Amino acid sequence: MSAFTFKLEEMDIKLDTEYIGTNFIFYDELNSTNERLLTDDSIKQHGTVLLTENQFVGRGRMGRKWISEKDLSLTFSILLTEDVDSKNINIVNLGASLAVAKSMENLYQLDVNLKWPNDILISNRKVSGILVESITKGNRFEKVVVGIGINVNQPVFEGKLLIPPTSVRKEFGRPVKRERVLSEVLNEFESILEQIKTDPKGVLDSWRSRCNWIGEKVKVINGSDELVGLFDDIDSDGFLLLQQKDGTKKIINGDVSLRKT
Amino acid sequence: MDINLLKRLVKVVEQSNITEFSVQEGDLKIKISKNSKQSVNTVISQPINPVVQTAEPVAAQEPKAKEEEVNTNYHEIRSPIVGTFYRAPAPDADTYVQVGDIVSVGSVLCIVEAMKLMNEIESDADGKIVKILVENATPVEYNQPLFLIEKT
Repeated sequence: MSAFTFKLEEMDIKLDTEYIGTNFIFYDELNSTNERLLTDDSIKQHGTVLLTENQFVGRGRMGRKWISEKDLSLTFSILLTEDVDSKNINIVNLGASLAVAKSMENLYQLDVNLKWPNDILISNRKVSGILVESITKGNRFEKVVVGIGINVNQPVFEGKLLIPPTSVRKEFGRPVKRERVLSEVLNEFESILEQIKTDPKGVLDSWRSRCNWIGEKVKVINGSDELVGLFDDIDSDGFLLLQQKDGTKKIINGDVSLRKT
Repeated sequence: MDINLLKRLVKVVEQSNITEFSVQEGDLKIKISKNSKQSVNTVISQPINPVVQTAEPVAAQEPKAKEEEVNTNYHEIRSPIVGTFYRAPAPDADTYVQVGDIVSVGSVLCIVEAMKLMNEIESDADGKIVKILVENATPVEYNQPLFLIEKT
């Protein structure tokens, strides 16, 4: 057992939730935490958290990969089976990145920038990524699985990645406790889920205030579609409003980058 | 043609003793015929509008076959969210379903993606896919019909 081995009891001490993480599943290794929660119908409890040390087939958007490192990163997924509907699903999605951002601020006073829709950047480098996957039948959300990857204690990164990565350790200056990071993210996420029920606008405002690119000129790429404009705001559904010469366009999907002028 | 009017017409014919009903309104012809006790078939034929509507974007002017069958035994799968419709899990993967496929409750039919969230839509009916109403990788609105399933 190395000094970095994840200790459940240390996470549990700091966990202060009613339902997120009260059912906690740990796998030494797993193909994908998202995939397991989506496909394993024996796991039903609202708020179940599944953590793994070795994820072999980390998934990103449209088949992109998420690379995790044993003992150094956090790779987990949260299962929601209640309280999510068509009206608030996008706010839950943004709320996940907000939970990670708030945790970084609370614990390590890091200056976090949220990149629409849900990447977490520090100094323009990616410290955490989120992939939400869900299953609907008719109008009902049967399962919503919030997959979160956080670079915690990696000292260096090798290879060239889509967005240059960083870790909490690199930004904070020394290794931190992964148990503490996880419990804080789960605490924050539950309190955001509760706020969504009564004050979804407040959640959007919190997200907005951490998005440094609002007001900046950005490029939005979606498949072969490439748009340039001013990142005006996010609307009440969380969609990006891109201001162009001929009016404002609502962006549903796409990769946003700052346009260098 | 107003779809609700059509639905009402189908219902009227269905509940009556009429076995065949047709109506013409300008170029639009509607024929509803009943060939069994349960099902009602509707055939709409309408010539493609030759008038160019300059206000519409070019892409919206693709000529579409205006022949459609409406069957009361058909079930619509609608989008629960605003997003982009995908027929396959990844750009190079096989499509989840094709016209003619038999599906059951819980079969994955498509993905609708919004803000990086990938939502799998499962069938809430048993039956056969008779029509896919949306092109791959195009935007869909909340509650927009995506598939027509003939229930079994």
